Amino acid sequence: MIKIILFGYSKTGREIAKLLREDDEYELHLIEENPLKVAEAREDGFECWHSSFNDDSIFEELGIGTDVKILFCTSTNDSLNLFVTLSARNLDKNLKILTLIYKKEDEKKMLLAGANRTISPYDVGALKAYRIIDKPKVSKVLSLFSLHTNKLAINEIEIPKSSPLDGVYFKDVDIFDKHNVIFLGILDRELGDEFIFFSKGINHKIDYKDVVVVLGSKKDIKNFKKEIGSV
Amino acid sequence: MLAKLLVSFAYFLDSLKWYKGAKNFTYDLLENPKSKIKPYFDAFIIFLVLVTVSILIYDIAHHLPYHFEIMENIAVIVFILEWLGRFWIHDDLRYEIIKYHEKKLAKEEEPSFFQMLKMIIKTKAKYIFSPMSIIDLLAILPTYRPLRVLRIFLIFRLLKIFRYTKSLNTFFRILSDKKLEFNFLLLIGIFAIFMSATIMYVFEGVGNNPNINSFIDALYWSIVTITTVGYGDITPVTNTGKVVTFLLVGGGFFILVLATSIVTNALSEKIDLVLENKLLSRASKLEELIVVFGYGRMGQTLCEELHANGKNFVVVDKSEENVTRAKEKGYFYLKADAQKYETIKNMVFNNDVRKVVINTDNDALNLSILLTIKAERKDIEVIVRANNDENIKKFKIAHADFVIFPYETVAEVAVEYIGNSVKFDAIENLLLKKSDITLDEVNILDGSDMIGKTINEVGFKNLNITTIAVLKNGSSKNYIFNPNWNEYKFEANDSLVVIGNEEDIEGIKKSIARQFT
Repeated sequence: MIKIILFGYSKTGREIAKLLREDDEYELHLIEENPLKVAEAREDGFECWHSSFNDDSIFEELGIGTDVKILFCTSTNDSLNLFVTLSARNLDKNLKILTLIYKKEDEKKMLLAGANRTISPYDVGALKAYRIIDKPKVSKVLSLFSLHTNKLAINEIEIPKSSPLDGVYFKDVDIFDKHNVIFLGILDRELGDEFIFFSKGINHKIDYKDVVVVLGSKKDIKNFKKEIGSV
Repeated sequence: MLAKLLVSFAYFLDSLKWYKGAKNFTYDLLENPKSKIKPYFDAFIIFLVLVTVSILIYDIAHHLPYHFEIMENIAVIVFILEWLGRFWIHDDLRYEIIKYHEKKLAKEEEPSFFQMLKMIIKTKAKYIFSPMSIIDLLAILPTYRPLRVLRIFLIFRLLKIFRYTKSLNTFFRILSDKKLEFNFLLLIGIFAIFMSATIMYVFEGVGNNPNINSFIDALYWSIVTITTVGYGDITPVTNTGKVVTFLLVGGGFFILVLATSIVTNALSEKIDLVLENKLLSRASKLEELIVVFGYGRMGQTLCEELHANGKNFVVVDKSEENVTRAKEKGYFYLKADAQKYETIKNMVFNNDVRKVVINTDNDALNLSILLTIKAERKDIEVIVRANNDENIKKFKIAHADFVIFPYETVAEVAVEYIGNSVKFDAIENLLLKKSDITLDEVNILDGSDMIGKTINEVGFKNLNITTIAVLKNGSSKNYIFNPNWNEYKFEANDSLVVIGNEEDIEGIKKSIARQFT
């Protein structure tokens, strides 16, 4: 189980919590500063801590620096997001932190405070709208992959040792067709973690420990994983 | 009898296709501000006016060569045709007559010929006596031989140019807003002139001043003085006359200053409006215009993206702050309340708009805009932003083509990020065009020679283009994921979503399009 802390029960926080609740791979803990939001979260059926972040003990209590792997800062309060990001980074160098920003100018600040990645609902929404305008059909197909519709999935699979795919060239693989999955590309450990698209690297060799990214229905991907020995 | 003839003639005209076509064409040529031919025609008329007026000036001291006369005649014929054209398209009398006839039929009365005649004369007279028509007529009439005396009126042709210069019209419209102030100044001016002229005439006109022999002289002196021109051919000689001059010069200065400030004021008040109108009239000529309602944070990023990719779009927002931001970026913008039907009509229905993005942070407003558009034009594709998850359903019921709930999308991206960031990066690379591999759509048009061939046969495999899905008739309700290379045969109206090298995909699209040229 991956332990995740979600700070801030904002609209975005709520959507993340809803998505993660369905998946039993994750152990989710919510924390919120605003008592009204805490009540809201509890109403929606989530356990939610309340803290005003007066001292750092709350972070240790939550397990940051020990067993927490991921932190989402999704509060509507920018300065609190910054504060929580900074405090958490201080306790754990390897923690994955994703922080919400509302203004573009805040991105640098958040990265400086220790966030691995920032994300803005407005930018994501706008890019999505643009994609619909520019390539409506591509958007339709992508929406099939959305976690919400659950029709198709994008999956990444690490190639285990002695897998039938180990040491095979891109052009020679037919195992994907057999399972009705589309091979998007691989992350090659030998080439310094660069993502190589299938369309580009036809003379490329797959090695063990590489990560392949495939598209397909959940069932097909499961069967595919079995065959290459990843499960 | 006559009435019946007139009515059946109206119905006859209405049934003629070419008649309507010709009328539409004339409208496009002469009046339609959005037509593409009008600017050329306008330029041609301005050219004719300038040439004929130059000929007139030349004619005064020289004998006209023969071909100049021809030029003049051609110009007059064009002017007459133009006037007749405007006379024709000024109204649609056949509709009026048909409507009148229908009304009478409903009341079971006979249509009266004289009533119809009155209607015709009234409508057409309204055109003939409109200021623009009078200017046009004054430009034509002096050419008629018996009226040659009126040749000087040819100068009125210059007035015709006003018709074709939009900026002058706007200028006069702006000034007409200050009518009250101008009338007031004019009144003061006339009063001052007559007053001082009278005093001057009374005190100096009876022999004291050899230059003032009539009231006209006094009036002339008064106008020359008040306008601060002051030729000095008539000067006051008595003390009374001098005092009047002091006052008149002071008053004249005052009036000039006031008049200047009124004009400046009117201009600075309305300059934004003028600029906006100009921008919008430019925007309305664009094809496939995208209208973006709301220029908040999401709107800004969207517009940046649209701008960077060379799409035509207009921003509509009612907040001064947001509009200023759009203005600074140099986008087309309209400051208006989208809740009003007029705004949507002017912006969306009256232009070539196929796609609309509604992304204000107010769901009620978004819904109102969406419904206004969909009630009238189902074919316009509307992308709408939901600010609350409870409203997503409502937008779908209201026939939104796409609903974006930004918080949900962000959550999905965030959750993707949890696993390994490999697929996150892969997808981001594709979507943000960070590599030359791209996701794109290819449409199999009806009649394309790709129909009936397999994916392998059209060469996708050689180019390493992967077909992720085939959408039947472009709809995601009926799709085939990962169609088999050797078995799936393309059908008409398939939309393929493919991944591959950008150039290769472009090449395929071009080869499809080339077949139809």
